[in-house]
Amino acid sequence: MKKWLTVVLAVMLLLSACSSGGGNKQDSSSGGGNGGGDNSGSASGGKEAAEITIWAWDPNFNIKALNIAKERYNKINPDVKINIVENAQADIIQKLNTGLGSGTTTGLPNIVLIEDYRAQSFLKAFPDMFYELTDTFNAADFAEYKVGPTSVDGRNYGLPFDSGVTGLFVRTDYLAEAGYSPDDLQALTWNEFIEIGKNVKEATGKDMLSLDPNDLGIIRVMIQTAGKWYLDENGEKPFLAGNEALKEAFQLYKEMMEADIVKPNADWSQFVAAFNSGDVASVPTGNWINASIKAESSQAGKWAVVPIPRLAGQPGSVNASNLGGSSWYVLNVPGKEAAADFLAKTFGSDVEFYQELVTEIGAIGTYIPASTGEAYSAADPFYNGQKTIADFAKWTEDIPRVNFGAHTYVIEDILVVEMQNYLNGKPLDDALNDAQKQAEAQVR
Amino acid sequence: MYLFLGVTAFVSIFPFLWMVVSSTNPSVGVTKGRLMPGTHLFVNLSNLVEQIDLVRALANSLVIALITTGLALLIGSLAGYGFEIYRSRAKDAVFNILLLSMMIPFAALMVPLYRMFAWLSGKMPVIGIDTKAAVILPTMATAFLIFFFRQNTKMFEREMIEAGRIDGLGELGIFLRIYVPTMRTTYAAAAIITFMSSWNNYMWPLVVLQSDAKKTIPLLISNLGSSYSPDYGMIMTAIVIATLPTALVFFLMQKHFVAGMLGSVK
Amino acid sequence: MSIRMRTRVTGWCFVIAAVVLICLFYFYPMIQAFNLSLKSGVGTNLQYVGFENYKRLFTDSNFITAVTNTFIYLIVQVPIMIILALLLSVMLNSDKLRLKGLFRTAIFLPCVTSLVAYSVIFKYLFANDGLVNLLLLRLSIIDRPIGWITDPFWAKVTIILAITWRWTGYNMIFYLSALQNIDRSIYEAATIDGASAFGKFTKITIPLLKPIILFTSIMSTIGTLQLFDEVMNITKGGPGNATMSISQYIYNLSFKYTPDFGYAATVSYAIVVLIVIFSYMQFKVAGDR
Repeated sequence: MKKWLTVVLAVMLLLSACSSGGGNKQDSSSGGGNGGGDNSGSASGGKEAAEITIWAWDPNFNIKALNIAKERYNKINPDVKINIVENAQADIIQKLNTGLGSGTTTGLPNIVLIEDYRAQSFLKAFPDMFYELTDTFNAADFAEYKVGPTSVDGRNYGLPFDSGVTGLFVRTDYLAEAGYSPDDLQALTWNEFIEIGKNVKEATGKDMLSLDPNDLGIIRVMIQTAGKWYLDENGEKPFLAGNEALKEAFQLYKEMMEADIVKPNADWSQFVAAFNSGDVASVPTGNWINASIKAESSQAGKWAVVPIPRLAGQPGSVNASNLGGSSWYVLNVPGKEAAADFLAKTFGSDVEFYQELVTEIGAIGTYIPASTGEAYSAADPFYNGQKTIADFAKWTEDIPRVNFGAHTYVIEDILVVEMQNYLNGKPLDDALNDAQKQAEAQVR
Repeated sequence: MYLFLGVTAFVSIFPFLWMVVSSTNPSVGVTKGRLMPGTHLFVNLSNLVEQIDLVRALANSLVIALITTGLALLIGSLAGYGFEIYRSRAKDAVFNILLLSMMIPFAALMVPLYRMFAWLSGKMPVIGIDTKAAVILPTMATAFLIFFFRQNTKMFEREMIEAGRIDGLGELGIFLRIYVPTMRTTYAAAAIITFMSSWNNYMWPLVVLQSDAKKTIPLLISNLGSSYSPDYGMIMTAIVIATLPTALVFFLMQKHFVAGMLGSVK
Repeated sequence: MSIRMRTRVTGWCFVIAAVVLICLFYFYPMIQAFNLSLKSGVGTNLQYVGFENYKRLFTDSNFITAVTNTFIYLIVQVPIMIILALLLSVMLNSDKLRLKGLFRTAIFLPCVTSLVAYSVIFKYLFANDGLVNLLLLRLSIIDRPIGWITDPFWAKVTIILAITWRWTGYNMIFYLSALQNIDRSIYEAATIDGASAFGKFTKITIPLLKPIILFTSIMSTIGTLQLFDEVMNITKGGPGNATMSISQYIYNLSFKYTPDFGYAATVSYAIVVLIVIFSYMQFKVAGDR
């Protein structure tokens, strides 16, 4: 019998030895630096200006921007070690929610990038976990539409970063075949866009655009041109039934489908393929698509960017809108002051830095003083010498401010279903009323 | 029979072959669904090596998968054997309760588990957040493997245990000298499955591993696809490389599945 | 110590390590998750609401759709896959078969690679102008393209095909390994008695493999009721929510929407209850114990 106990004990010991052995090696190799609160008990007092950890996604865009910021910041403050960790956006959301939801600060970063549509949801769900940035930068220096999603009750928690300003990317060669030039497209309505689409299809056989039926991004773009959203102005109550802009957007969506000018796609790669292989004549989306369009270098000189169409039936609708875009947040964990200082001295005030962002990675910020800089007026040979950055910067200022609230994606999942019903013949008012009821049941 | 197997094998392997082909094409070729091999393999490879530390991630995954497989097989087979051979009403009840642990979606356990490891980080940092041990610990004992070994033990001939006792072997001796060698195909199957699930494990490592230096292969691959302008050629190359170790483990282990093994040991 | 006592204690020694570890890393969090399921709110602002969340399940149309979809997958897919895996493993166990290793590896391969990669390729195969439609049109089996991903019915078929494709080889492993433990002299005796191949399959193989068949069918039930990867990567639950699974709904509640961990835990426990019912039925049907 004793033999038995010894064996079991030995096994247990072996196990713990193995696991701690593995752990030990790990810890020493990383120098014990894994963001914030981990060593809060023992070491936080000792190393004040130590190290900040930042989470962001997209190696070619946000991560590159961070690296530039890090380089510039370390010139003025070489004592801070900046540790940039790349994670996919969905992964960041999952990690952040789990960490914050567990109520501990262990393992959390100091700075994190959050998409504007989701920002309020985080700020609301974990109100004490974000560090207020109000006095560290001048919010009035940023595009007005970015300030809403990044603040709560007039207090700023996020430092605005990239612009999700939209444009209509068009294939000039296809349009020419149908008898249009970019000059004809400067202030389109969506109805005109559909008409052009039909003519282009007739002349070239190509679809006008490609859409993913599970992603209503285009609806969001349309309603924001009129300053409307899925929620009311306070970002609290669902505003679907009786939302005229949304109604018009739904009608336009159906018209596009019925006009047979839409090439359906099932994911991002197929969306990218649609314009890379020349299957569509236009791409109405955020400026960040630029890099993917330019990836097919054989199409150089065949593209132009014109303002996004507006809603004809909505009096306040303008030819400017937004899709996506994100901002920086500082978590309320040890190292927050250093983190806030890093953001303030780079993304928050450095005009030169923004010039570098534009030339190095084509990232358009929302920091208004930067847009007068030289890099913003450069001509792009891919777009026949069009000054695309200057155009985007100009449109950014016109984007209507809306309150995204905390429920964009819940409501969108409901609308996706009702959109299918509407396309299959359900009356529009019924669809939106039903969506309203479901949204009210879910959002509370 | 060959026709049926041939068709099944082809259908099974076709998407993989397409992936291999895609890894030789540039991103634009992949998004266009090109089916012809290209010449872009080395460009994809060098981009990959430049962008991410593939070797380190492979090493991390390998260490975790090997330790997990070894420990899980040991613990799981001991328990599966114990529950079936030393059956009692109390043990049956405990076994049934253990089965419950695999019925709850892991997503529901993540927040409490994270809290537990965060607490451990304060007490014993070596098994806290951001360590390999934290990845391994929750997968060391699974009801899945216990259940699998128990069901297979039902096919184990009990006379062999009696024979062992007569030969003067202790209970553990019977397990090690008779059960383990006889059931080696069961161990092979369990090893394949455990290695594979550890290698592909995503949700928990994602949450618990924080620093770049500790990331496993699936986490890195997830990063590659996160860009606004992903390089699909490079992603396919990475995935082909990530698949090879498990495929190799399988190919080596399946040789143990030879009909009529029984009787050759004894 | 009596001999009985002794065997009993020995038995516990075999299982103790596993029991302790599972209690620590599964049951302790499970109890906390249950506690969470009695609370409601967003993020960390939670209040006790008793069984309110459980009542909410019955009026939640998303939950009901997800359960219905998941049941369809379960009832159609699990039997097909189990039978297919059984047939394949018997074939791949044959002495006479050449290139065994290659066939086995090819059929096992689908479950090895992350679905993130396959999903890109799957979507090309099943696109409206994808290879599958092209092939079916060419063979005149259909006269217009099937909306494999865009049509509510066919999207479910696509998901079922994807699960079967990915997991058949996985289940085959369990059968292949178990077949080695069958004494082949039983087959030899049957051959002498003039039994046909089919007769041997139904009269010998299936009854002897029963514990493993029970194991795989319960594991597949659990896998299907917790189905997530395929739906998330291939259809994202669409069109509309025609393919949404329960686990995807849990994911949405915890991460995609403003996190409601309480209700997400409730939905998780709903899955547990469903799996317990199905597993119990399967144990009964199999006549175990």
